[in-house]
Amino acid sequence: MDETLTKKSAFRKPKKAKKQPITWSLIKDQKQLIFMSVPLLAYIILFAYVPIWGWTMAFQDYKPALDFGDQKWVGFKHFKFLFQDDNFLRVLRNTLGMSIINLILGFVTAIILALLLNEIKKIFWKRTVQTISYLPHFLSWIIVTGIVATSLASDGIINDLLMKLHLIKEPILWLSEGKYFWGVVGASHVWKEVGWNTIIYLAAMASIDPALYEAADIDGASRYSKMRHVTLPGIKPTIVILLIMQVGHILEAGFEIQYLLGNGLVVDWAETIDIFVLKYGIAQGNYSMATAGGIFKTVVSVTMLLIANWTAKRLGEERLL
Amino acid sequence: MGGKSKSIFRLSMIMLLSLSVILSGCGGNNNAANSGSGNNGKQAESGNNTGDKVEPLEITAFIGEAGQQPTPDNKIYKKIKDELGVTIKMEFLAGDINQKLGVMIAGSDYPDIMTANTKLTAAGAFIPLEDLIEEHAPNLKKHYEKYWNMMKDPNDGHIYILPNYGAYNGEVSTTWYSGPAFWVQKAVLEDAGYPQVKTLDEYFDLIAKYKEKYPTIDGSPTIGFEILNYDWRNWGLFNAPQHLIGQPNDGGVVVKDGKAEIFADKDSAKQYYQKLNEVNAQGLVDKETFTQNYDQYLAKISSGTVLGMFDQHWNFQTAEDALTTQQKLERTYVGLPLVYDKNTKDHYLDRPALNLNNGFGISVNGKDKAVQILKMWDRMIQEDWQKVLSWGIEGEDYIVNEESRFMKTQEQRDDFTDATWKLANKADAFYKFSPKMQGYFEDGNATDAAAQPEEYKAGLKEYDKKFLEAYGYNSYVDFFSPAPENPIYYPAWSVDLVEGSEAKIVNTKQNDLSTKYLPKAILAKPTEFEAVWSDYAKEIGKLNIKAYEDRINEVLQWRIDTWTVK
Repeated sequence: MDETLTKKSAFRKPKKAKKQPITWSLIKDQKQLIFMSVPLLAYIILFAYVPIWGWTMAFQDYKPALDFGDQKWVGFKHFKFLFQDDNFLRVLRNTLGMSIINLILGFVTAIILALLLNEIKKIFWKRTVQTISYLPHFLSWIIVTGIVATSLASDGIINDLLMKLHLIKEPILWLSEGKYFWGVVGASHVWKEVGWNTIIYLAAMASIDPALYEAADIDGASRYSKMRHVTLPGIKPTIVILLIMQVGHILEAGFEIQYLLGNGLVVDWAETIDIFVLKYGIAQGNYSMATAGGIFKTVVSVTMLLIANWTAKRLGEERLL
Repeated sequence: MGGKSKSIFRLSMIMLLSLSVILSGCGGNNNAANSGSGNNGKQAESGNNTGDKVEPLEITAFIGEAGQQPTPDNKIYKKIKDELGVTIKMEFLAGDINQKLGVMIAGSDYPDIMTANTKLTAAGAFIPLEDLIEEHAPNLKKHYEKYWNMMKDPNDGHIYILPNYGAYNGEVSTTWYSGPAFWVQKAVLEDAGYPQVKTLDEYFDLIAKYKEKYPTIDGSPTIGFEILNYDWRNWGLFNAPQHLIGQPNDGGVVVKDGKAEIFADKDSAKQYYQKLNEVNAQGLVDKETFTQNYDQYLAKISSGTVLGMFDQHWNFQTAEDALTTQQKLERTYVGLPLVYDKNTKDHYLDRPALNLNNGFGISVNGKDKAVQILKMWDRMIQEDWQKVLSWGIEGEDYIVNEESRFMKTQEQRDDFTDATWKLANKADAFYKFSPKMQGYFEDGNATDAAAQPEEYKAGLKEYDKKFLEAYGYNSYVDFFSPAPENPIYYPAWSVDLVEGSEAKIVNTKQNDLSTKYLPKAILAKPTEFEAVWSDYAKEIGKLNIKAYEDRINEVLQWRIDTWTVK
């Protein structure tokens, strides 16, 4: 404590120098803010930085019963196993494929729905539609996949509907054809998340200056041109920021839905990195391999995030970092 | 100290405090748990009057499968507490077993006793029991005498787990078959005039004829054959070929003369899948059979529309119970031991082998209580307690007739199939995984109500009595050939492949390939079957199958060397 106190008096002098940004009096002035940030900092240190230590597992043949010093170090063995496996390219393709489909479908549908909702003048209808559309967000995937599997069964509602409309003659077995799988996953995601995703766009639209719409009215703009020239540019910064954040999650195609809906017939299209890591890592008690998979995903995520951020900066758009 | 320094001192103290509050959130649980168990320990002490064999004790247990907590005033657990002074606190699995074990292992957070799992053994979570049993548990030692060497872990020669099933005294007879078979609805056999069905071809002929005659059952389309392959329940697709060539259930391999070999890509398997391909073309196989999950499978069976499937009895037990409840007895199933040709002798029914890697072990955290826990089991393995755990309380749960045979009234029988009643009156969850006597008590009564012949007969429904009479059988087990003596190394499916080893990875990959190619082969047009099959065989050929077979053969050899009673 003594040491801190002496340091403090040493810092007091240069208080007025402009290039000394953090001074004790500044700290004192903002002590409430600092105080409030302590729990958050502790949270981040505990749950984001301390676990990074666990990455060492990826370079060992980790055995839970042994102490750190007794573990056997094996270098890049687990990364080699991961990258050299015949299935790895396939699961990477599936992950990226489904992730990109989810990304694009998610953005397009959410923005369109938000634009449409924004045009509804009756508050009651707007609220009703919004509530109904975002309710599925609160269901867990196990329930959603149950609903999806039942709807897509040979006597399910989708096949019934298509048969009644005479679009098909025989029920389609949606879940036993690899070519439909990505589409099923994309559509399920849209159904579950579209309403929820609109919330942030609606908030952004609410903050657009009404004067802009009035000015557009005076210029004789139609509804569609107001959407295109006022609303969309108004929410562009929000879109860009969300896009940057989403690109960082490019290897997160989801896990539950593929795991729960996948089966032997569609395995070539359904297996994602997460499932692969579960099967050959955790389920085998091979925690090292699972960690290697996690590191790979993190590295790709951070890289993609930085690239997206840099591109946004180049294009003169809003940035995250 | 000036005023300024005081406030900074105060500030840093506050920061320190708030940090410590957050940090203590992590460490605090242990204390809470300890003090909690301390209190309960005292309660157990006060409730202990007559327990002279075992000191007052509270033990925590992890049960590695989903289950329901018994009611707080459960009759049997109360008796255990009153007479043995032991309170058992059980935690059941919720969610995924691998995830749960991963968390437990990572934190070395083990209750006193845990059900066996090779992951726990590999993580060093169990303590060796052989010396403790020798010293403190003479009855337990006597119970396992014949099996002592078999219980030793092949990797280091210690006994970690007390097997819950398979330690028999005397002859084994049963009226209940829970293993694998080709199952067929009783109605199908009844309709065909109770024929003897021996071969795969005859079986599918029967199903085809019945389906043609009755295209719908209770208004829903009749389903000819179901093949369940969902998650770890994969034997519906994988395991049939070994039985069809007259081999017992050895999991993924066929063992001949002590040598194990996979059969997945052999001609014996091809013949089966080609047959399935053929009957699929006839429209007998459910179109959705490979996309359904376990719940959908059970739902289809409970609707009574499924004529047949290859499965293990316990796997669709709940669905069959539902059919019984609905009084659709003709829709319940008979297991048939099918083979490819009539000259092959069926070997479905096997003599029970010691149930390795199943049952309880004592964890490193329960080390201090180990002696007391073993003394408890030592007491429980004696006949009076075995009767309580298996049959219940005399007069309440069963009756003893004039010939001193154990019987039940119809009401007692109904109680025993009532899950809610069992939660309050049976210690099933604990008994299931504990060491138990199987076979016969000294007075000649069976240790299990289901194995008591006159009790089985008295409990049969009219429909089943008539059905069995038509065949001249005593029970449904008589459809199978009697089980021959087991080879010493049997069964190969209980070989521990060792977590993370090459053998285990190869096994996983092989199962992946089967999951992918077999449905394709079965659903392909008959002309395309050959092409899919050769792709499949080629892919399997690329794997290092030898690593898998070597591991199994190594353990089988080890069993022959150490288990043989010299």
